[in-house]
Amino acid sequence: MKGDIAMVDVTRKYVIPGELVSEGKYKNSLNVFRVEDKYYSTRVGMAEITPDSVRVIPLTGPYIPRVDDLVVGKIVDYSAFAWEVDINSCFYAYLPAQNVFGRDYSPARNELTQKFAVGDLIAAKVMAFDRTRDPLLSLSGPGLGKIRQGEVVKISPTKVPRVIGKKGSMIRAVEMGTNCRLTVAQNGLIVISGPTEGIIKAISALRLIEKEAHVADLTQKVQTLLSVKVDEKSESESDGEQEE
Amino acid sequence: MSKKSLVVEHLKRAQMLDVLTKGVRLDGRGLLDYRPITIETGIIEKANGSAKVRIGNTEVIAGVKVQTGAPFEDTPDQGLLIVTAEVLPLASAYAEPGPPNEDAIELARVADRGIRESGVVDLKELCLVKGKNVLAVFIDVSVLNVDGNLFDAVSYAAVAALLSSTMPKYEVTAEGVKDTGKTIPLPVKLTPISITMVLIGNTIIVDPTLDEESVMTARITIASADKNTICAGQKGNPGGFTEEQVMLAIDTAISKGEEIRKMLKKSVGHGKKQK
Amino acid sequence: MSKSSITKLLDAKGVRHDGRKFNELRPVTMKVGVLENADGSAYIEFGKNKIMAAVYGPREVHPKHMSVPDRSVLRCRYHMTPFSTDTRKNPAPSRREIEISKVIREGLEPALILTDYPRTAIEVYLEVLQSDGGSRCASITAASLALADAGINMRDLVVGCAAGKIEGRVVVDLDDVEDKEGEGDMPMAILPNLGQVTLLQLDGRFSRKEFDEAFKLAKDGCMKVYDIQRKALMEKYFGAEETGEQ
Repeated sequence: MKGDIAMVDVTRKYVIPGELVSEGKYKNSLNVFRVEDKYYSTRVGMAEITPDSVRVIPLTGPYIPRVDDLVVGKIVDYSAFAWEVDINSCFYAYLPAQNVFGRDYSPARNELTQKFAVGDLIAAKVMAFDRTRDPLLSLSGPGLGKIRQGEVVKISPTKVPRVIGKKGSMIRAVEMGTNCRLTVAQNGLIVISGPTEGIIKAISALRLIEKEAHVADLTQKVQTLLSVKVDEKSESESDGEQEE
Repeated sequence: MSKKSLVVEHLKRAQMLDVLTKGVRLDGRGLLDYRPITIETGIIEKANGSAKVRIGNTEVIAGVKVQTGAPFEDTPDQGLLIVTAEVLPLASAYAEPGPPNEDAIELARVADRGIRESGVVDLKELCLVKGKNVLAVFIDVSVLNVDGNLFDAVSYAAVAALLSSTMPKYEVTAEGVKDTGKTIPLPVKLTPISITMVLIGNTIIVDPTLDEESVMTARITIASADKNTICAGQKGNPGGFTEEQVMLAIDTAISKGEEIRKMLKKSVGHGKKQK
Repeated sequence: MSKSSITKLLDAKGVRHDGRKFNELRPVTMKVGVLENADGSAYIEFGKNKIMAAVYGPREVHPKHMSVPDRSVLRCRYHMTPFSTDTRKNPAPSRREIEISKVIREGLEPALILTDYPRTAIEVYLEVLQSDGGSRCASITAASLALADAGINMRDLVVGCAAGKIEGRVVVDLDDVEDKEGEGDMPMAILPNLGQVTLLQLDGRFSRKEFDEAFKLAKDGCMKVYDIQRKALMEKYFGAEETGEQ
């Protein structure tokens, strides 16, 4: 994101729905509602105002799928052609059988339950979604497929960027401090695998991040909790959207 | 709500069975440990008695209303005691508005039996004019948040609300029944306590969470009136208990019940003093 | 019930039966995020009113044929517990509760950007644990907090407050006694930043001049309640001390 360039002038403030964030002309906006030149927040969160953009980073809200998101979901049903997956969103997602069995999938030959049963957890990518149809999932990609072990923790989907941290710094701190591996899905589900004590520590770290997502020196706090030190000093108070 | 939302994760079920064989539970409790219980009384000023009970994240509120009414024809010298329970739609993603379903009706009826059948209130003391005017005690319980073991939460809230309740003092004169404007304590004789246990694998645990209830094979609720008397029972869910398991359940209900009875009496007493 | 004990709703000095001035609200407290299972929740005490609000959604619509292709369906249920009133209330929804559910839903709808969640349902549940005058105003205030807590896109919060007439005088925020024995009640809800009226009901007799007075008192009352509402939401998300710019 180009907002990261050090010299850009950013004003930040805490806002709630209906609150005036800024007045003026902006090229880009996010989670705001415009009346003439006035921009009002539509969410509870942190407003960031730069000379050409006004946006609110929400602290609470549902998961709305986006193409290419990594999600963790639960198989809840299946038909002859697809599995239905609960991805912690307002819509159930579909995983087409063709995506798993290949192009020559035939309901006469292949049995869906051989691969995934109702109640199984999977890691998947969102292949298509445009709000007029239910999201489609895909398992093509490294690390995708059935989740066989680990503890699954649910956090607010809006706090996922904070859990990942700037360029993955937060995840690294938690992984280093707990000897666990974390798979953080955009829909707010996190799979933790590793030793039991590590899992317990990781859960407490995640709860801290969730509770204090608006606090500036959060990575510091997490490092103290887990008694680890990540040497990058480039810790910013911003929690802009990070890619994994 | 569609049944899709009730699908249990295989991973969770496997983990639960695994830890139970080691004698502990996923939240760190022992098999016969309750989650933390809090009881507040006197929270609804407009009710004659009220209580809010939390067992872990399960939260219920109960209110007692005492009104005059007519007795049932077959018990002309007795007052009425009516317990209702409702899982409010705000309590869970799976509760729906509308008339109560069979689970909600079972919940209310088990609570009603546990309280009424134990003889908790001397109904004869609620009679004003035989065959004509009696006092009716309504205990209405609303579930605010569901996280398993609603049976016990509803029962403790109902009993705590009763124990903290007053009733209006009536005078019977030649012209009829008159409210004196004074209140007296409700004649509560006993403190019935229900204990709910579920069977998961071959293990019996008390006070199941919603996660635990989602993998249980059978459930049993036993209420005791004191340390020698059981006063209500209900087996639930499509699964069975062995004879030994039933005996174990009864013993557990009595010993655990005694523990919770003391705690409940203490917190109600405390609530009264604060008022 | 207690009718006989109250002789006058307003004394010679213009003090109301509970000691308030004509433009004074009853004590109000609010708390956000009080129920574990709900996607958003809030609790309000407004005088003797004690009301719990919960929001579920956006989520799949049941039954499915009720879904709308380009927007979310907002549903609302206002309900009173049997022990919330002076005389026990039958738990089945009354006509009064159904009407209030409707006006609250229609009062919330202008604040919500429902087109952001097509083919879904957003459900608002209000449970009156204890009722007093002005329960619909307190309910809509709590409901909008629960919606903000659920993180649903909103143009504004919604805040409610009533005005009414007692002993020929226009006053703000009637309690139970004033509502029953007074000459008029006018519940109102507004979008405080966008300045829209989204709920307005009136019963009783008001002259044109009295209506203007009542409208102004209700609006001022709403803005006072908004201040408390805003603080409750800020406190949940940013802690008590941090309510301004960083």
